[in-house]
Amino acid sequence: MTTDWHIDPGLIEQYENGTLVPSRVMAVEAHMLSCAACRALIPAEDAWLDDSWSAVYDELHAPRVGPVARLLTRAGLPGHRLRLLTATPALRWSWVLATSAVLTLAVAAAWFGREGSQAIGQAFLALAPILPVIAVSGAYGPPADPMHEITGTTPAAGPGLVLWRAVSVIGVAVVMAGVAAVLLPGPGWYAAAWLLPALLLSTGTLALATSLTLPVAAVVLGALWLTGVLVVARTAEGLFVSSVFGPTAQLAYLLAAAVFAAVLITRRRRFDLGESR
Amino acid sequence: MTTVTLQGLGKRYGTTTALDAVDLSIGVGVTGLLGPNGAGKTTLLRCLATALGPDSGTIRVHGLDPAVAAQRTEVRRRIGYLPQNPGLYPNFTAYALLDYVAVLKEITDTRQRRAEVRRVLDEVELTDRAKTKVRKLSGGMRQRLGLAQALLGDPELVILDEPTVGLDPEQRMLFRALISRLGERRTVLLSTHQTEDVGALCERVVVMSGGRVVFEGGPRDLAQVAEGQVWLSETPPQGNAAYWRNADGFYRTLGRRPDGAEPARPSIEDGYLLLLGNVAVTEAIR
Repeated sequence: MTTDWHIDPGLIEQYENGTLVPSRVMAVEAHMLSCAACRALIPAEDAWLDDSWSAVYDELHAPRVGPVARLLTRAGLPGHRLRLLTATPALRWSWVLATSAVLTLAVAAAWFGREGSQAIGQAFLALAPILPVIAVSGAYGPPADPMHEITGTTPAAGPGLVLWRAVSVIGVAVVMAGVAAVLLPGPGWYAAAWLLPALLLSTGTLALATSLTLPVAAVVLGALWLTGVLVVARTAEGLFVSSVFGPTAQLAYLLAAAVFAAVLITRRRRFDLGESR
Repeated sequence: MTTVTLQGLGKRYGTTTALDAVDLSIGVGVTGLLGPNGAGKTTLLRCLATALGPDSGTIRVHGLDPAVAAQRTEVRRRIGYLPQNPGLYPNFTAYALLDYVAVLKEITDTRQRRAEVRRVLDEVELTDRAKTKVRKLSGGMRQRLGLAQALLGDPELVILDEPTVGLDPEQRMLFRALISRLGERRTVLLSTHQTEDVGALCERVVVMSGGRVVFEGGPRDLAQVAEGQVWLSETPPQGNAAYWRNADGFYRTLGRRPDGAEPARPSIEDGYLLLLGNVAVTEAIR
């Protein structure tokens, strides 16, 4: 729509200076909507407009930050690091909820089936160290991460990213299993007895993954652990807990974990897709 | 100016040779990589994109050697890569996915990252789809989103592995326009099965077969390979010649002149088929 009438230069000046009363501002703006000539008399701050539109666009489209992420940000984790961790396959809500459900069932079974609670407690001790291993297997690379080829060819790829993700999933798995361990009936030290085996299996999985894929490394070590535990349970009945979780065994786990950590540090470059294997 | 230089590049998978002493130089503009299945195109692109270490030979990207860990990171800062199966997270929105890849590309400042996400969304014409989840995007849009992630950080070398596969004609045209714009100031290496893509987009074409480079030159040079070997006839040719019936009802024959046939102007496809012989002809007819 065009018009023959144009705004008086004095009015334009008052509008620009911001000294016009609101009712006349509305009238001036209504006219400018349909009159390109008058609109052109007002110098537009294009940079400011672009910035404002960009800010509005980002506000509407940028991913929302959840309560856990806000908590971690307050704890000092930088926003970009958080973006990397939230894309970790094993940290998706589906995985966390499924694991929590299994642990809740284990605790409930131990409390409601009191007669078998000792056996359930021991089974928990044997299985809890596997939980971080399963989490690690889904932390990086195929098949857990469908975007692994893109991820692996970015500047952030390599051992640093693998270890960040592994530490975060191990942390979440340990917290979940730790809560379950505290809630289980049985001696208080049960709550901590599985931690060193978990550390051993986690570092072992990562060390082995410098030669194999993460899921295969996790399966190999998980299977070895379960086989060992079953053999001890069969041969040293009654001494199962002291044999597998006693002080001597715990010291051995710590030393073995240190060896795996050394292997991991030495061979960490193997986590880079661009390295020849 | 040469962006990429490959010398004697070799890669084997067990007893299969995927790349056999490949020598190649690539400069600014769009270079098409043609070849039948198993020719070694994807392996070559994966080596260039630093997704795979070669067994032998050297790669230089802007003079940098990706075999050296520190230089590899610098190479990764300069490349954008769209693999054949990008596996974009289906539950991420387009914006969130690009934001994530931008972090992987070391754009850690939030303001700068968001500006970069907006820029690439605009470049691939997906600004209005920023909040749509990847699983709800059409195949063409998903492919453009894949291209957008490759363009984050304004890379000098863009590697695209069969980006036009499965796209309808409209989406393919849109994609071609995007790639053509990219090639104005960047080095774009595009792997494809489609000779039409090469004719429409590429200043240079490289044909691979059995892990080797068997042709390097312009699209017209590739068509010239078939000069004097393309014929049109009203009846099917005798013998084992490769031929097909075209839309006008004539039989188009490659190779020796059939009785009564007239010479025809060769196309890029003719040159490609003749260059690769039976492998490509069998694949084309299939």
